[in-house]
Amino acid sequence: MRVIIVGLLATLACCGAELAQAADLQSSLRNEVRLVDRRLPDMPLRLGDGRVVQLSSLWRDTPLLVTFFYQRCTGTCIPSLRLIRDAVQQVGGLGRDYRVLALSFDDVDTVADMRLQADAMELASDPNWFFAVAAGKNVAQITSELDFGYWRDPSTGQYVHESLLVAVDQGRVIRALLGYPIPLSRFRELAWELRGSFVPYYEVPGERLLRCFEFNPRTGGFRPDWGLLLLLAQGVTAIAVALTVFNRPAR
Amino acid sequence: MRKANTHTLYWIGITLVLFPILVVLGIYMRTVQFGQLPATQSWFYPMMTLHGLGMVGVCYAASMACAVDALRRYIEPSGAISWLALAGTVAGVVLLLVSVFLGKFAAGWYFLYPLPMRGNWPAWSTVMFLSAITVLGATWLIWSVDMLRAIARRYSLSEALGWHYLAGRTEPEVPPLVLITTVSLIACVACLVAGVIALALSFADVLGGVRSDALLMKNLTFFFGHVLVNLSMYLGLAVTYEVLPEYAGRPWKANKIVALSWNTVLVVFLAAYFHHLYMDFVQPVVVQYIGQVASYISSIPAAVVTLFGALMLVYRSKMRWNLASILLFVGLAGWAIGGGGAGIDSTILVNMKFHNTLWVPAHFHTYMLMGLMLLVTGYFYHCCQAATELPEKPSFHNLVILLLMVGGYGMLFMFYLSGAASIPRRFAVYPAELAHGAGYAGLGALFAALFLVGLIVFFVEIGKRWIRAFRVAV
Ligand code: HEM
Ligand SMILES: [Cu+2]
Repeated sequence: MRVIIVGLLATLACCGAELAQAADLQSSLRNEVRLVDRRLPDMPLRLGDGRVVQLSSLWRDTPLLVTFFYQRCTGTCIPSLRLIRDAVQQVGGLGRDYRVLALSFDDVDTVADMRLQADAMELASDPNWFFAVAAGKNVAQITSELDFGYWRDPSTGQYVHESLLVAVDQGRVIRALLGYPIPLSRFRELAWELRGSFVPYYEVPGERLLRCFEFNPRTGGFRPDWGLLLLLAQGVTAIAVALTVFNRPAR
Repeated sequence: MRKANTHTLYWIGITLVLFPILVVLGIYMRTVQFGQLPATQSWFYPMMTLHGLGMVGVCYAASMACAVDALRRYIEPSGAISWLALAGTVAGVVLLLVSVFLGKFAAGWYFLYPLPMRGNWPAWSTVMFLSAITVLGATWLIWSVDMLRAIARRYSLSEALGWHYLAGRTEPEVPPLVLITTVSLIACVACLVAGVIALALSFADVLGGVRSDALLMKNLTFFFGHVLVNLSMYLGLAVTYEVLPEYAGRPWKANKIVALSWNTVLVVFLAAYFHHLYMDFVQPVVVQYIGQVASYISSIPAAVVTLFGALMLVYRSKMRWNLASILLFVGLAGWAIGGGGAGIDSTILVNMKFHNTLWVPAHFHTYMLMGLMLLVTGYFYHCCQAATELPEKPSFHNLVILLLMVGGYGMLFMFYLSGAASIPRRFAVYPAELAHGAGYAGLGALFAALFLVGLIVFFVEIGKRWIRAFRVAV
């Protein structure tokens, strides 16, 4: 008996911690959903290799993943870019299913800074990765369209900012991932959608109690989960009750 | 003269009080949709919730009371449990009233997750609402199991389900009432268990912040709601099988076909609820097809067998028509007409257009209001008349029936027209794009008021008999 109580309490404690974390995720999730369907403005971009291209030309052939950064960031920008690079490598499909744009939001960043950044990440020769700067008013427009907030702290010269990755299809946001670090499994789900397969069901962070189905972002498979058994419970109970109640000599 | 049962008389009393009040709420909703009473708009959704759950509850409890009363000829339900059923139902209603009137709880009658936790009403009113359903559910679960127990004292499971008819034997004779009630009660246990699970998960959310899977909750909730409403109707039919023969002067017996159709119902209708999830793209496609097929198989055989049986019973019989037998007969007709409307809507191709339009309230009001409620009130009148044998005034009674028919079907017709004109359900006020919905609503309110007049006159007639019967019984 005591073992059971201790076990229950331990489970509750774990649940509590997880719930607190889940609450954060839930609110960022709500903010992500808000971004879906927003349209991005077109604008000229100056790429690290010196070319000037229209933003719309980058999403013409494949969907485009867009993220914001600035080169001097000592916080999450660079680790976040690395994370995206590694996830892309693991999940695959770059060039065929999507391409990636890292757009600077700091007006002191230059084309040379972009080239440096691409070199540092060993992506300079990758035709599907773009590091770009744009005119200040255009940056202001696209970041406000995506509710991406950043604020410069004058004492350090660093920006306080969020981490955002949006998937854009023909100029329209189809998915957004907010926060750092991005879990690999969520990135995988995103990759499935970019590949054109609709993901009808995936785990909402914190809602792991008894689900009906499970989507496996590694394989793209879709399989029943334990919650479905609950739907059999009522039938089984009813049969059991009927058999029990009637299990006596008639008359 | 046949002395009325005290419990039944209490149930009749409760129904006579609650039913007209809930009808008034229905008229109120149509009036607001017509654009009148703008100051009370914020009450639309709490009242819709009260009307919906109240009506479903009254229908279930009243039809159960009818079945229990009719079954007393064959079996003996426990007296204590009968009192518990009354007390528990009254307690549940009180909790519901508090939640809706003081807390303005307004998530609709089937409290679809996670709306109850996300509305702009206080959390305590959600708790109060969930508690109301818990009390009602627990009470009705005990009631159902006790009825099964009482049936089991006289019949074995295979007899009660008429399996010997399927095997070609005709002995022992089992009345259709027993067969259909047994089917309904087993389904009732299943649906109340689903309700209990959905409630437990809802409580876990309100009180513990534990989120649940919305798809799972929707499956559980609609299993509960669909089965509860359907089995109430089956109970209404069961007593019709028992009482109508008394007026026709011929027996209406179980046979192989009756047994077969109701066993089919038991097996299949638990899967029919999937028709409520046609729009849920996450639900695997095969389940959607199961939903459509099960909807057809669970309704058509039983309906055909019952209607054919009823017509054969009445055809060329020396039928004694009075308020009771007329109500039972037109109740059967209403059940069939509404069933037709429901069948149309359970067809996936049509559902794509009609989902969540007023077509849905149109068809379920047809079989609940002009079907089940007439069966139940017909049976209640039958009891009170049998207990008092007051002289009846046929021409006056025909007028009552006329009012009920014209008012009831007029109101329903407005629902159907609105549905066909793509007016969505659950809109308190129609925006400009749906302005044509308001006219239907206004006419609907007028017809419903006519129905209410008929109902009140009818209740005066039955009330006189009820008071006499009550004096004798208590
Ligand atoms: C003359 C009698 C009645 C009138 C005038 C009436 C009127 C209404 C109206 C106007 C609505 C709201 C429709 C909408 O979504 O816009 C409604 C909903 C409803 N009614 Fe009735 N009704 C009557 C009888 C009944 C009966 C006998 C039942 C029995 C079960 C019933 C059960 C319901 C239910 C379950 C809802 C849905 C509530 C929800 O959406 O949560 N009604 N009724
Ligand atoms: Cu249904």
